[in-house]
Amino acid sequence: MTIAILRADAWLRTSPRAVPSDAMDNFPVTKMPTVSVALLFDRFADGVYTLGYRILGDRHLAEDVVQETFIKVMRSLDTYRGDGPIAAWLYRIGYREAITATRRRRETPLAPDEMLEAGDRPITSVEDAVLASELTRRLDAAIARLAEPLRSAFVLRDIEQLSTAEVAQTLDVSESAVKMRLARARQALRVDLKEYLA
Amino acid sequence: MIMTCDQLDTLLPEFFDGTLTAEQEAAAADHLATCTDCRTVVSELEGVGSLYRTHGRLKLPNDARERIREALGLKES
Repeated sequence: MTIAILRADAWLRTSPRAVPSDAMDNFPVTKMPTVSVALLFDRFADGVYTLGYRILGDRHLAEDVVQETFIKVMRSLDTYRGDGPIAAWLYRIGYREAITATRRRRETPLAPDEMLEAGDRPITSVEDAVLASELTRRLDAAIARLAEPLRSAFVLRDIEQLSTAEVAQTLDVSESAVKMRLARARQALRVDLKEYLA
Repeated sequence: MIMTCDQLDTLLPEFFDGTLTAEQEAAAADHLATCTDCRTVVSELEGVGSLYRTHGRLKLPNDARERIREALGLKES
């Protein structure tokens, strides 16, 4: 971990913001030997938090998922020799952390109504409070009603905008399975949110 | 190539991924030009993605962001 931190700090000092954040997403991990953990955190923390929250329905557990994910990223970045894009590699770690947290909790994810408890909403500012509108609540409830395999595929593909192949790598399923899950998720959400889609 | 509603429905994942063949893409365009029901479905499905990209992505709360950055040793001095 120390090496990773030193490398990250050195990389930040020598190449601050040299790489546009989106340019990292498809960058093969093997060709990024001195990647900055700090930049990865800045780029992917919100996405991992989104995935964790959508799976667990709990703000604090989702925050734990972010922390545990990046601890694992730090520990494995120097030794990882995969060929896939870094976004899929990182989200895969986050997804496994969230699923592990679900099992550890020995409960199913919270029901939609429970997910709407004020304490669980990630409201951090006046702007966020404004966004916690009826529409936002409806979107939260609709996505929470999806079965978990559909929810993760939808979050990764349609919100985090990974490619179908990257979602398949992240979830460790075939691309056909991802397409099927996406089709079912999109159709269910379309029906649920009909009034907002006119 | 004539595409039916069911055929388009089956190919919607590829349609949204932009991975239809040229022939399938042309047939889908022809079908959508004449089928109001399928146009509505496609438009609404596009709307679902758009809604969630705009309103469904969450932001890690600032207090948690700072706490985690510090725990990871990433907090700037």
